[in-house]
Amino acid sequence: MTETTTGRTQPTHGERTAYDGEDVLVDVRGIKVHFPIKRGVIFDKTIGHVYAVDGVDLQIRHGETYGLVGESGCGKSTLGRAILNLEPPTAGSVTFDGVDIASLKGEDLRRKRQDIQMVFQDPMGSLDPRQSVESLLLEGMKAHGLAKDSAAANARLRELLKAVGLPVTALSKYPHEFSGGQRQRIGIARALSVNPKLIVADEPVSALDVSVQAQVINLLEDVQEEFGLTYLVIAHDLAVVRHISDRIGVMYLGALVEEAAADDLYATPLHPYTRALMSAVPVPDPLIEDRREQILLTGDLPSPSNPPTGCRFHTRCPWRQETRCDTERPELRVPDVPGVDAGQRVACHWTEQIASGEITAHPVSGEVVERVEGPDDTDFMGPASISEAL
Amino acid sequence: MTSMSASPSTHPSVHPGAGEPLLSVRDLRVTFQRQGQEPFEAVQGVSFDVRPGQTVGLVGESGCGKSVTSLAIMGLLPKHGNHVSGTVDYEGTNLLTLSDQEMRDKRGKDIAMVFQDPLSSLNPVVPIGIQVTEVLERHRGLSRKAATPVARDLLDRVGIPDPDRRLKDYPHQLSGGMRQRALIAIALACKPRLLIADEPTTALDVTIQAQILALLKELVQDTGTALVMITHDLGVIAGLCDEVNVLYGGRIVERGERHELFAQPRHPYTHGLLASIPRLDAPRGQRLQPIPGSVSDNLPWTHACAFAPRCSQPIEVCTQVMPELEEQHGRALRCHNPVEGHR
Amino acid sequence: MDNPLNPNRKKQRIDDLAATAGTGGGAGSVAVADLTVGDAGHIAESTGVSLIASAWSRLRRDPVFLLGAFITLAFVLLAIFSPLIAPHDPTAGLLLKEVRPQTNPIPGARPGYPFGADSSGRDIFSRLIVGSRQTLIVGVMATLFGFIGGLTLGTLAGAIGGWVDSVVMRVVDVMLSIPSLLLAFSVAAIAARPSQWTVIVAIATVQVPIFARLLRGSMLAQRGSDHVLAARALGVKPSAIVFRHMLPNSLSPVIVQATLVVASAIIDAAALSFLGLGNPDDRQPEWGQMLGKAQQYIYDHPALAIWPALCIIVVALGFTLMGESLREALDPKSRR
Repeated sequence: MTETTTGRTQPTHGERTAYDGEDVLVDVRGIKVHFPIKRGVIFDKTIGHVYAVDGVDLQIRHGETYGLVGESGCGKSTLGRAILNLEPPTAGSVTFDGVDIASLKGEDLRRKRQDIQMVFQDPMGSLDPRQSVESLLLEGMKAHGLAKDSAAANARLRELLKAVGLPVTALSKYPHEFSGGQRQRIGIARALSVNPKLIVADEPVSALDVSVQAQVINLLEDVQEEFGLTYLVIAHDLAVVRHISDRIGVMYLGALVEEAAADDLYATPLHPYTRALMSAVPVPDPLIEDRREQILLTGDLPSPSNPPTGCRFHTRCPWRQETRCDTERPELRVPDVPGVDAGQRVACHWTEQIASGEITAHPVSGEVVERVEGPDDTDFMGPASISEAL
Repeated sequence: MTSMSASPSTHPSVHPGAGEPLLSVRDLRVTFQRQGQEPFEAVQGVSFDVRPGQTVGLVGESGCGKSVTSLAIMGLLPKHGNHVSGTVDYEGTNLLTLSDQEMRDKRGKDIAMVFQDPLSSLNPVVPIGIQVTEVLERHRGLSRKAATPVARDLLDRVGIPDPDRRLKDYPHQLSGGMRQRALIAIALACKPRLLIADEPTTALDVTIQAQILALLKELVQDTGTALVMITHDLGVIAGLCDEVNVLYGGRIVERGERHELFAQPRHPYTHGLLASIPRLDAPRGQRLQPIPGSVSDNLPWTHACAFAPRCSQPIEVCTQVMPELEEQHGRALRCHNPVEGHR
Repeated sequence: MDNPLNPNRKKQRIDDLAATAGTGGGAGSVAVADLTVGDAGHIAESTGVSLIASAWSRLRRDPVFLLGAFITLAFVLLAIFSPLIAPHDPTAGLLLKEVRPQTNPIPGARPGYPFGADSSGRDIFSRLIVGSRQTLIVGVMATLFGFIGGLTLGTLAGAIGGWVDSVVMRVVDVMLSIPSLLLAFSVAAIAARPSQWTVIVAIATVQVPIFARLLRGSMLAQRGSDHVLAARALGVKPSAIVFRHMLPNSLSPVIVQATLVVASAIIDAAALSFLGLGNPDDRQPEWGQMLGKAQQYIYDHPALAIWPALCIIVVALGFTLMGESLREALDPKSRR
């Protein structure tokens, strides 16, 4: 792992397939997470499934940062939890260092958790309000027998706090006494406390103020270098993901639609959804904003309980074709496009034709999707009601 | 609506902000007084103008007072426990002195508002159609029968497909983006001259956000409605606003025309914000330059610059005297030691 | 949360500033550089304040809580020291010779006997004072048993989930479907001989499903919370997750409910005694039982009923005030 501890490995060129090399730390194969929808008066009957994650293959190599990006409801958080087996996968395997995590249970799984840690979105909610920072940080160490010598444990606590840039006085304090960014630092220190190899960070900065986000992003980069960590960063903010990741996977409705090195994805986005996503991200520069061509998607995200047939994106795709798109589900493949790196994989039947300009975009009429509340639905609190305003 | 829509957003050569201000906010102060607690001044003397057809941005982080400012303008702050002072001049009327009844007549008719969360802003047990026609009945005096086709056209106008069917839908049956469109339809029902949008896209996904922003831009250009855009997202501001006000700790710290402000941010806070956000178009591998600390490190404005403890280039006077907001060539700046040169 | 404009904090920062500004002199920029915060921001040197501690500091200044606590404390002290305080023996018929069954069954107030005596010539004032002890025992014990029962069932249901949850909750639903007083009557009536303990068991039975449901609900909310997920991800043992994270964070609504239940248990006990299902031995005075005995003289001598009723009301009020202000203090939403 010595050569990869910098966390900035460049993808090796020349391979035609996905990374199957020995360098792979996490190998996810065909993972599916389906949530049953149950209804019933006395006995619950399963009347359908929410296909939150529906067949994802991905490999994360030692020391790299893999970014998973997608909009709410695409299943990226569920995928992250399935990789940790916090959400038991319906099918598929997650091989971590040669062990299939997806099939582990009970005490074996609990011990294995030492190697994979998680950083959460909501820094307040993910810290037990009744625990002091000291007890928060010691808990995982005790659970894995790392705190048997109290003097050594104490030294380790100080080391952890130093790594995340907090003073030792923080130890006796409680989560509610910190600011949002400081709490996220505690969350990162907790993840580091058990010496993990992989950290899954689920929207690590989206709950923080703009001016604080950069602190946490830099901190994540620093501790990656210091402790030789591998990251899976899950976020909806493409700019954040691109900044922090070496490789990026784009998710849409439970599946990967494109995977590429971070620079390649920005330089040559191939999947129509990736293109739309890229063009929708606002850039804080009026000159760019005035010039840019936006691909505005119409309609809503289809419900994950009733995904479209064929390509999941065909209902909203401006490049949709009469054949194949609505009948045949595209596989993630290396496209035959000149100048595209072998590490870039796309799940679109018409990648080559779109890239060469043979197929052009056409208008799509909007379609309203009836809402079924899925597990990924998030409700936000608002300030007031419209009736109050009028 | 078409799927491919180039939106070059080239503003007309005539500055849309020309002429007399439509809304003129002067020295707006809002103090929260909670029982058993020290009073907390959330907005500490905010002044800005909005001219007809102009889009003005209020940008800042949570706790900077941007939302409280908008609620104070709309008269939506609870009377109990809040003290609002200053003037909010709308076409010669100080809105702060109006009675509740007069203010209700103004709201929805002359000034409308769009909130962050469309679900909690809509009445969950009333169909969308009724919620639109209600406004039309109340402010434009239409009958229910006459209002229905108008409501239908409004939904169509904001890009809701199949508007006849959607009139009968309840808010929970629509997606977040569609709800926000419905909310914009309600806000626009009476052709207000001023629209205040408080983080209208924060709860939405980025592709839906792009749709809503394109819609707002289009509506502002077509109807000549002035827009006050409140957001924390500098990217949203960059593409939409004519004039940008940067708020920090309840006061405006910098103001300018958007091209100038983004090209040459002079306040260390604005400068720092722009340097700290990762950009999709920036070369990778560069380290972000964060602003240290958080808003809880602020100093009180009364004796200092609130931003001084987090500032990259503080001088001694920053911790002793509050900088005044100084106007110069259409730019305003509240700083003792501004950033020089281009970004 | 650390209020950014907390006045004390503000003052302290200003003092710090004044100090640095004063000493800075010519090297002003150096002093200012010291002032700027580190990347993570400022953290006060003081030791941390736990949630319990901050709730207590709010309660201490809450007049409602203080009144409730005063009443409750006075009641508890009275119950403990009642034999010392009571001027007379509550069981001795000291005024028995004043009782005239036909003309004047109830001896009125007189020097040394401020509230007069009952139909057996026993001093009412002393009986009220000594009665506080039985009332307290019934109220507290019934709540305690109900609490323990509810805690066990609620923890089982909330921690294990699945079919255990379903079974426990159906049992609880059946118990809740029976009107509470009726359930208490049934339990009390099953006992061969009514006594103080039948009352306690009867009232505790009524409270069990309420506590169980409350605890299970908040345990379920905790189970879905991020910090429990974080503990799972950390590899904390399942038992530790339940007892160290889920249970302690679920307790505050249950504890609030307990203080409110003490009040209703006292009232329910009075109701059972009033209906003759309580302790029949009137040598151990109890307010509910005194109220019951006063029934036959209610038209001519209402004072006989008013005094114990007033005692019950005041004590119940004390517990309720305490519970309500506790609820407010422990509510995370009210915290600023």
